[in-house]
Amino acid sequence: MFNMFRLVQNENMKIYKRLGTWIMIGLILMIVIFAGGITKYLLAENVNLNWEEQVQIENAQLLEQIEEYENMPMVGSSAIQPLKEDVMINNYRLENDIPPVENETLWGFMLSSPDFTALASVFVIVISAGIVATEFSTGTIKLLLIRPVKRSKILISKYIATLIFAIIMLLTIFVSSLIVGSMLFGFDGINLPYLVYSGGEVIERNMLVQIITFYGLNSIDMIMMVTFAFMISSVFRSSSLAIGLSLFLMFTGQQLVMVLSDYNWAKYILFANTNLYQYVAGTPIIEGMTLAFSIIILSVYFFLFILISWFTFNKRDVAA
Amino acid sequence: MQKQPIIQIKNLKKQIGKTTIIHGISLDLYPGEVFGFLGPNGAGKTTTIRMMVGLMNITEGEVLINGYSVEKNFEKAIAYVGGIIENPEMYKYLTGYDNLIHYSRMIPKIKIERIEEIVKLVGLEKRIHEKVKTYSLGMRQRLGLAQALLHSPSVLILDEPTNGLDPAGIREIRTYIRKLAVEENITVFVSSHLLSEMQLMCDRIGIIHHGKLISVETVKNMLEDNQHLSVNFTVSPLKEALSYVKKTNPKIKAEIIDHRLIIYTSEDQITTFAKLFVNNGFSLTGIHGEQKSLEEKFIQITGGDLHV
Repeated sequence: MFNMFRLVQNENMKIYKRLGTWIMIGLILMIVIFAGGITKYLLAENVNLNWEEQVQIENAQLLEQIEEYENMPMVGSSAIQPLKEDVMINNYRLENDIPPVENETLWGFMLSSPDFTALASVFVIVISAGIVATEFSTGTIKLLLIRPVKRSKILISKYIATLIFAIIMLLTIFVSSLIVGSMLFGFDGINLPYLVYSGGEVIERNMLVQIITFYGLNSIDMIMMVTFAFMISSVFRSSSLAIGLSLFLMFTGQQLVMVLSDYNWAKYILFANTNLYQYVAGTPIIEGMTLAFSIIILSVYFFLFILISWFTFNKRDVAA
Repeated sequence: MQKQPIIQIKNLKKQIGKTTIIHGISLDLYPGEVFGFLGPNGAGKTTTIRMMVGLMNITEGEVLINGYSVEKNFEKAIAYVGGIIENPEMYKYLTGYDNLIHYSRMIPKIKIERIEEIVKLVGLEKRIHEKVKTYSLGMRQRLGLAQALLHSPSVLILDEPTNGLDPAGIREIRTYIRKLAVEENITVFVSSHLLSEMQLMCDRIGIIHHGKLISVETVKNMLEDNQHLSVNFTVSPLKEALSYVKKTNPKIKAEIIDHRLIIYTSEDQITTFAKLFVNNGFSLTGIHGEQKSLEEKFIQITGGDLHV
């Protein structure tokens, strides 16, 4: 284990002594600050109504739309259900005097911050795609592998270092959003709960716990894509291929599943399962999918990616 | 040499697809010797070395280092080995020192003082805290040696260590290799396609050609052998002269090249052969002795496709 710690230390050194890594972290910070500024100074709404009136107007619009949808046979219940849930949540707000979270508050900003993880994913994919492939392209792999350390240990240390980088990226977003949010918006409405529709009723959740949950759900998507990039990087020893393929799939995967959602087998596609939001809020992309199902599918893909990386890295003739 | 071999290569073979690249190489290397692995480009030097250090899978046969199989007991076997495989490719964006720290973390039980010690040994004290990308090729080569010697290995494997170096750099490496072998009793296995270079630093030279080890000789023997001449006799009738020489001296190597009889022999035998021809009715019109260099011998063995 001590040995593994030192190997991870090595990989970390190779990640953080590169300027590029710090540019990525700097970019993330800039984006968060920029988004905070936009929210505060450009998107600030001139509110004339109090929140009760706004919620009532929103509800009236929602009900109108529901009625419209119900008269259209093309539109299935999966499109109507989320609208109904929104109405129920709004009613709960009115009954219990819980105002919605405004965008220009700390919580509002924090709730939107998990969206930045998509950008972080891009950067983590870049690191993951390079961590094996770069050793091959620069020839350093030869001196790396003629040490009294098994190849699989080296591979594992590289994967752990990639995950550490992912965690650092997520923490950077979380902490910087917290700081930027509290500085720009103060602490109004800090005690507000997060309302979710679950099992036929509306329940209150702790806001911070909910935000962390969102981060957690987003990181699943990130970890799958990062592991995918890691595999491509190990198999093809090309970081550009790994980056290109991973990003392409990350941005088109969901659409692909949408297109194929009429077919039942589409639920076995990785991207039908990476978005676990679908079980927290809303309905699954393909009928009949459950959280447990998605977790099993994700695990199978995960171990497949790891196994393929491990196998090719261990067996490969190093001829670079 | 009566010592236990530190490296044993037993019938080593490599096949990629249907092509056999290495056809069963067997070789023993002993502590403190500098072994030159000589062959033209593409002869299989690099493939053999990569199998020896576990970078490539062995198709058949085995490599034992201090008794441990590289294939089955990799961690133990490779712990005795330091190496530079082709160019010393280090992490250019790290300093020389960070590079050494990096490799030292992969060795169990190494003291930090050893890094300082090795830096001094290769003479990089002044520049060790600068990034490797600012180093000259000679300095990279020295850093390469430093990483190879960090864990005080028993065997040093160097693949074309003088590639791209200027004559001063080559001499430096050569002196260094000799010193390691003599003072530290390290076995050095060095590959090259330049015979002249090997001749100066090796104890033994093995010649590899088309994936086969075709000759292993001590440099001393090779040089002594070099005392032998190839003597051209312009004599007629030629064929009869050849068969006559072979009949009277069965051990002598003789052949006909360019309408001349070539006899491989030593200086003091020239008169004997001349007398032999004259006394037996051959007409002898010329004698010309030529010294054969090692280089020529090597070219002759490898069939001339040597790229120097």
